Amino acid sequence: MFRYLTHRIGTALLTVWITTIAVAMLIHIVPGDPVQIMYAQSQGTTPEQLEEIRTRLGLNEPIWVQYGMFVSRIVQGDFGQTIRGNQPVLDLLIGRLPNTLLLASVSLVIAALVGVVFGFFAAYKRGTAVDTGLMITALIGVSMPHFWLGLILLFVFAVNLAWLPVAGEDWRSLVLPAITLGVANAGIIARLTRSSMIDILNQDFVRTARAKGLHKGTILYRHVLMAGLIPVVTMLGLQFTYMLGGAIVVENVFAWNGIGRLAIQAIFQRDYPLIQGFILIFACLVVTVSLIMDLLYAVLDPRVRLS
Amino acid sequence: MSLQTASVTGGTSSETMLKLKQFMSNRGAVLGLVIVMTLIVVALFAPMIAPYDPQMMGAGRRLQPPSFAYPFGTDEFGRDLYSRVIYGSRLTLLIAAIAVGIALAVGLTIGLIGGYAGGWTERVVMRLVDVVFSFTETLIALAAVAILGPSLKNAMIAVGIATMPFYARICYSTVLVEKNKPYFEATVAAGAGHARILFLHLLPNILPTMVVVATLGVSTAILAAAGLSFLGLGAQPPSPEWGWMLSAGRDYFSRAPWMMIVPGVAIAITVLGFNLLGDGVREILDPRQTNRR
Repeated sequence: MFRYLTHRIGTALLTVWITTIAVAMLIHIVPGDPVQIMYAQSQGTTPEQLEEIRTRLGLNEPIWVQYGMFVSRIVQGDFGQTIRGNQPVLDLLIGRLPNTLLLASVSLVIAALVGVVFGFFAAYKRGTAVDTGLMITALIGVSMPHFWLGLILLFVFAVNLAWLPVAGEDWRSLVLPAITLGVANAGIIARLTRSSMIDILNQDFVRTARAKGLHKGTILYRHVLMAGLIPVVTMLGLQFTYMLGGAIVVENVFAWNGIGRLAIQAIFQRDYPLIQGFILIFACLVVTVSLIMDLLYAVLDPRVRLS
Repeated sequence: MSLQTASVTGGTSSETMLKLKQFMSNRGAVLGLVIVMTLIVVALFAPMIAPYDPQMMGAGRRLQPPSFAYPFGTDEFGRDLYSRVIYGSRLTLLIAAIAVGIALAVGLTIGLIGGYAGGWTERVVMRLVDVVFSFTETLIALAAVAILGPSLKNAMIAVGIATMPFYARICYSTVLVEKNKPYFEATVAAGAGHARILFLHLLPNILPTMVVVATLGVSTAILAAAGLSFLGLGAQPPSPEWGWMLSAGRDYFSRAPWMMIVPGVAIAITVLGFNLLGDGVREILDPRQTNRR
């Protein structure tokens, strides 16, 4: 257990470290002169001023010095200022983060509920028309671009029927983006649940339980559902990171003020400090989520706990 | 079916026949194959099928609803959407081919090196792959587009890089399996050089598996690239790329809903086709799955 813990935390730290290198180098990989690109919009910047900005950003130092400066700034919580509006990057990102986390979490709950119910019933009715129908629905869900589903929902329920607001900050504006992201990912969970449940249904202990004359409902819910959910729960951690990735697109469909919307704006405005901050924060988020999920899994599963 | 057919046939060439039969008995997989083949035919013969030039403004009046003359209606410039969707299939297939091609080429090289070299090289290379894999595809693709700048070409590269770890990991584990086979030991014992082992012995044995694996990745690549174009980070106007068309259509949703519905359906059917095909292929690769029915 201890070895697993140190190994897992070590991997997470390594990932974050590699990310800082990649993010610090980002400004050098960009084709062309980033300073010129960033400040091209502000007319009349003289070459002397550009040179001064370059010195200020440390772009004239050797690369390893720049990396050292970058890391020491990051560690102190200084992610720099945005090009547009000169706002502190970290404050901006932290301010938007709760919205993204809220969207991803609610979507995960929706995806898990819908996916497990679909998958469970498909497995229970396996080989019948119900099974086929449910699995075709799941496959269509997996194949649909979720930004498209989002737009359709937006125009039907917010624009035409006006049941929900088109954009906003309250829970009512969360409904459609969360359904979009949830339904889009429910298909994967449904398919996994089904195959896991069918595996369990074919196992000896289920036959034994049936032979003992246990009530059908008891067998299904206590034995099959509980055992069949283990791989599904394991998968949820990975799903959550997908949700965070998917949130970037969905936020832009619904004008939901999360970090994904901010990131796309930053890319369009070539606001490199903001892009760097976004990648770093998002990477840390993904690493943290998968670390927590793995540790949680290790605590729950005796095979990992005792190894 | 398997037992009887297997006893009657048997042998390596009929093993292929058996797999083919298994594939053909999967209705979903056959439907997927039909969708994909149709798409390829449509893309190849686009100029013959499309009634109008996809870029011709004023082919019809603006924002016309679907009709006999314009089966999918027209857009805000009076371009025929039916022709645009048909030409868009070329872009979709091109995106799929290039993005998957990049991912496959890079993933194959990394997996091959990692699996063959062993030791420190293996650890460093595969750990790096894990790092890239641990970020979501979306983040990697966004970072790549942020660096390269928005364009269709860069979106394809971005998606290729973002999906590469999937191929690298599978290639790596395939190499590990091959390394334990007698022919490999024989080649090493015969004193073959690294290049000879890698390119003449390992690669030909791994390539078929990897090409089959690539069919599983096509739908992911198409969806990711369409997503980038939708955000404005991929294909640029006036390209008839489906993701971009969908994005352009949202401004006209109330007046011309078909502008947004048509490209979305096109993407969904294409991805569905590749998903069905991929499921069929996966079932053959992993026989354990077939017993689950």
